[in-house]
Amino acid sequence: MPSQDTGDEMPVARTKKRKSRKETNGVEGPEEPGMEMGGMETGGVDSHRHSESREPLTPEPQDMPLQRKKKKKKAQPPVSPDLGADQEGDPVPQPDLVNGEGAEQHTDVEEVTRKTKKKKKPKPAEMHYTNELSVEDEDIVTDVQPPAPQRSLFSAPPGASQPVDKVFVERSRRFQAANRLDMGKASSQVDDFMEMRHLWTTRDVAMRVHSGFRVVGLFSHGFLAGYAVWNIIVVYILSGEELSTLPNLLQQYHPLAYPAQSLLYLLLAISTVSAFDRVNLAKATMAVRGFLTLDPVALASFLYFTALILSLSQQMTSDRIHLYPTANESLWPPGSEHQILQPWIVVNLVVALLVGLAWVFVSTRPELDYTEEFLMAMEVEEYPRLEEKSEIPS
Amino acid sequence: MLQTNNYSLVLLIQLALLTYDLFVNSFSELLRAAPVIQLVLFIIQDIAILFNVIIILLMLFNTYVFQVGLVSLLLERFRALLLLSALYLGLSISLHCWILVLQSVGCVVSVCKGVESNLRWLDSNHFVWTDGLQALFVFQRLAAVLYYYFYKRTTEYLGDPRLYEDSLWLRNAFARARQ
Repeated sequence: MPSQDTGDEMPVARTKKRKSRKETNGVEGPEEPGMEMGGMETGGVDSHRHSESREPLTPEPQDMPLQRKKKKKKAQPPVSPDLGADQEGDPVPQPDLVNGEGAEQHTDVEEVTRKTKKKKKPKPAEMHYTNELSVEDEDIVTDVQPPAPQRSLFSAPPGASQPVDKVFVERSRRFQAANRLDMGKASSQVDDFMEMRHLWTTRDVAMRVHSGFRVVGLFSHGFLAGYAVWNIIVVYILSGEELSTLPNLLQQYHPLAYPAQSLLYLLLAISTVSAFDRVNLAKATMAVRGFLTLDPVALASFLYFTALILSLSQQMTSDRIHLYPTANESLWPPGSEHQILQPWIVVNLVVALLVGLAWVFVSTRPELDYTEEFLMAMEVEEYPRLEEKSEIPS
Repeated sequence: MLQTNNYSLVLLIQLALLTYDLFVNSFSELLRAAPVIQLVLFIIQDIAILFNVIIILLMLFNTYVFQVGLVSLLLERFRALLLLSALYLGLSISLHCWILVLQSVGCVVSVCKGVESNLRWLDSNHFVWTDGLQALFVFQRLAAVLYYYFYKRTTEYLGDPRLYEDSLWLRNAFARARQ
């Protein structure tokens, strides 16, 4: 029965303690918490009392004293307040502590608390974010005070015990809760996404591609305008005042001429397609109506197309500039620079102006997209038209 | 009924081919270090155009509207794209042939003249432009832009589930066609 882990001397102390308890009976109650609070100087006594209460529950082998001690530390905090309450409130149970029945009764109480603890532990994991606060509040109320001094004295905090969790309760709980919430949200989002993907029709895919290309086009409009303006500024700076230093322009600009032309075509093609998309060119009536009402998008698409033609017409000259260093006299006859380059510079200037103007037009109504509206309204729009058509002959 | 995954895959292939086409149209003149590079690029480009046309035709054949025999309805809607595709393919092949032939002739001429060394074969930086080539170039590039626009629009349009299922308007159109 008595604790065997405290060595040979301990049974003596234990019997003394028993005797003193028997003698004092109800008087000792107030001292009990004080002893506990007083620390573990009377560790043997404390452990004895605890082992006494534990022993009927689990008889343990002698070779594991350390583990038992740890377990006692864990089990003790919930016991002591109950004990104190019993002793203060009702002196009768005190003698029960001495004999076996009392010990059993107490272990029952302790077991109940432990069971509730055991139940409480998995609760937060099971119940994800419902009633989590109330459960943890209960833990906080019962367990806050006793474990702190013990841990500070032994300086070996039990890692898995409830109090440790509670010390860090705010941070860790919030962290865990956030994690759990995130996980819950993420999983639900994934589910929603999968569901959405499952529910996606081909039309939704088409609309998504369309809106994606519109973003690319929007970027292209701005980039093209800036690039064209930069290009013409560079050309004018290199050609000097009133095109006086054209050989300098040829020397400096010839490696850039062809890449610049290629990039210009790429951006112009994307921008033109995007502008056509916005005005819904394939639907002739809508396009004509847009042009007649001077719709900014229709004007922009016209300007882009004009700029595209002008830019393409300068391909030959660009290639000529590109081949300037390796050119013979038939390609660049002496004194012909001004004659060849002036139209090229003027056309580039016009292209830059057109592109800049088109960008201004597009940017006034960046959200306007008649093709998207057409694709969206396709189902609704075509029913009556086709029905009317079919009804007319009948 | 057209599956969303299948449609997405086909759309991806089509857009990839269009992107390649745009890339070659933009930068093929820069990649003419050796004629063979341009030759390969041009061949792949023409095949890509052909593939795109075949894919769009297969998609048209796959529609319920086509399967019930209303080909005229589809042709009426997609005539512009089909004509443009044919025009663009013709212009592309013509331009590619012209550029490559002119460059080859330029190389051969320069070698035959013996003006330059044999390494000139590898350097195809010849000024091959004539007025006719310039005109063809402009038309081909303009047709390319229109082709991109119509092709993209048609692929998006073919995502309409209404084309793949029985519906009231289809029955009406069918009745009208029978009369």
